[in-house]
Amino acid sequence: MKFRTILTIIGVVIGTASIIVMVSIGNGAQKSITDELSGIGSVTTLQVYQDLSSMGMTAMGGGKTDDKAILNDDAIKDLKKIDGVVAVTPVVNLSGGEIEVDREQYGVSLMGVDYAVLEDMRYVTTSGKKPGANDENSVILGKDVLTSFTYTGASTQLEASAVKPEDLIGQNITMTIKRTNANGEEEIKTQKLKVTGVLEATGGNEDYSIIADYHLVTDLNEWQTGRKANVKKQGYSQALVTVEDSSVVNDVTSEVEAMKFTVFSMQQILDSMGSVFQMLQILLGGIGGVALLVACIGIVNTMTMSIYERTKEIGIMKVIGASISDIRNMFIAESTMIGLIGGLVGIVISLVLSVLINLIAGLFIGGEGGVTISYITPGLVVFALFFSALVGLLSGVRPAIKAANLSSLDAIRSE
Amino acid sequence: MHKDFKLGKEDIHILKGIDLDIEQGEMVALLGPSGSGKSTFLNVLGGLVPPTSGDIMIRDYRISDMTENELCLFRREHLGFIFQSYNLISTMTAMENVALALTFAGVKKEIRQQRAQEALEVVGLVDRMGHKPSELSGGQQQRVSIARALVNHPEIILADEPTGNLDSKTSADIMEMITRLNREEKQTFVIVTHDPDTTKYCTKVIHMCDGLIEAEVNQ
Repeated sequence: MKFRTILTIIGVVIGTASIIVMVSIGNGAQKSITDELSGIGSVTTLQVYQDLSSMGMTAMGGGKTDDKAILNDDAIKDLKKIDGVVAVTPVVNLSGGEIEVDREQYGVSLMGVDYAVLEDMRYVTTSGKKPGANDENSVILGKDVLTSFTYTGASTQLEASAVKPEDLIGQNITMTIKRTNANGEEEIKTQKLKVTGVLEATGGNEDYSIIADYHLVTDLNEWQTGRKANVKKQGYSQALVTVEDSSVVNDVTSEVEAMKFTVFSMQQILDSMGSVFQMLQILLGGIGGVALLVACIGIVNTMTMSIYERTKEIGIMKVIGASISDIRNMFIAESTMIGLIGGLVGIVISLVLSVLINLIAGLFIGGEGGVTISYITPGLVVFALFFSALVGLLSGVRPAIKAANLSSLDAIRSE
Repeated sequence: MHKDFKLGKEDIHILKGIDLDIEQGEMVALLGPSGSGKSTFLNVLGGLVPPTSGDIMIRDYRISDMTENELCLFRREHLGFIFQSYNLISTMTAMENVALALTFAGVKKEIRQQRAQEALEVVGLVDRMGHKPSELSGGQQQRVSIARALVNHPEIILADEPTGNLDSKTSADIMEMITRLNREEKQTFVIVTHDPDTTKYCTKVIHMCDGLIEAEVNQ
């Protein structure tokens, strides 16, 4: 192989590798952020709310709500019927509770869910277990329940984090809630709760809440407000819909939206971030593409030189019976090979570079299990190979046509 | 048949009206001084340059009307060329040079090699088939180029000064080989030469001068 051809291939190698490495850095950023996000909030859980305007109407205590969707038990049943839905639970919240642990007071909120479907929901306990369907007074603690809430004890000494949520498993804790009655007197109600487990971090409200059965939370709410809840007319404020896997999230979302509810899912955030990252990748790939453009000019130059050098050879071939397309294809194949070989070597080099980038970044940033700054997807490799071959092919077209159209007699006479 | 060339703004009449029939199996010498138009005539005959006016018929093919691509296909099937300067491809071995013509005809690799070997046998160069042109003498290179012209079994072989670069002994060898091929394979040869010695091997000698046929001698 000629030195000139090797230099040209090196040009393609640099071009291909710069595109791959650039895009892989965009990929890496996307991957680490989406991994982070999907780690926090379960991607397969949708939060369903009543349409905000209808909630406003009912909260003001009037208005016809016939044409508004109400998130009541009938709606819960309808949500359950959607294809791909595994579990649906209403969510009833209670705030203003206090518990005393190891003589310290902690303000807590309860998040009531349907224990009948608790097994099917994507809640994972780090220790202990989930309560059964009939354990109405059993609860799971969010992982930050004891640490992150306002310290309300009388003592000025801080003895926080002495007790971990895990230490309370199997124990009964006593929660107190207060209300002010019609005569302006304060009343106190106590409720015993049995802790069965601690929830893995979800990144949502659960981390700061105690998960309880929604029947219990509804009872406590009614005592606190002194009103019977009218679920049938007013609906629940929120429901959680657990779906089979992330592939059905979008379908289920649109079906729920068709029922005139507001849906919020991690998938929506990931989707909107996806387009931002696509822009980033096009930008980075474009910067890398400049190197490949230069390589492309190199191929055109090499092929043109090669044709000048081989004019006589082309003439001989035409005289002994090579057709125009034979000659053209021969040169196009040659330049495509330059692109393809350059692309292959470029891919190997960028795979090595990617590993090195992550290793070096790991040394500076630290962190367990390595760092992903650069991430090369199989699709990117296939694209790069295809693209480099295409660049080679296109660069060869003009020189090849020039070669094919040489007059055989003039060509054979040239020296 | 006429052929003009543009030289600057002037039209140069190289061939000024040639009318010639060549029979199958003939061995024709085109003899004349340089500038007489004999090489141009051969090139027009091989379809390498189109005539300015007039027709060239080879069997039933009117090659003066063919497109460049049709001419390529026609040459591949019916014509063989031998040049004064051999015109072998320097990066290829003798065998590869001979087989190249078959490559364009789409012949399979094993058959290509077999036929190239047969052609080299005819010219007596089988033992040299792995050599590059630079490793062969002038006479051997010319024999490779004859093998290349033969390998397609064309009806007509056009030779432009085939012995022009060779000494007299080698020239005689080459001409004897051509004569033998002409007799055994019944191929038609048209040989351009300015060497009267060459003409004694031919069945017909055409004397050209100033773009015209001066005399046509059967012998």
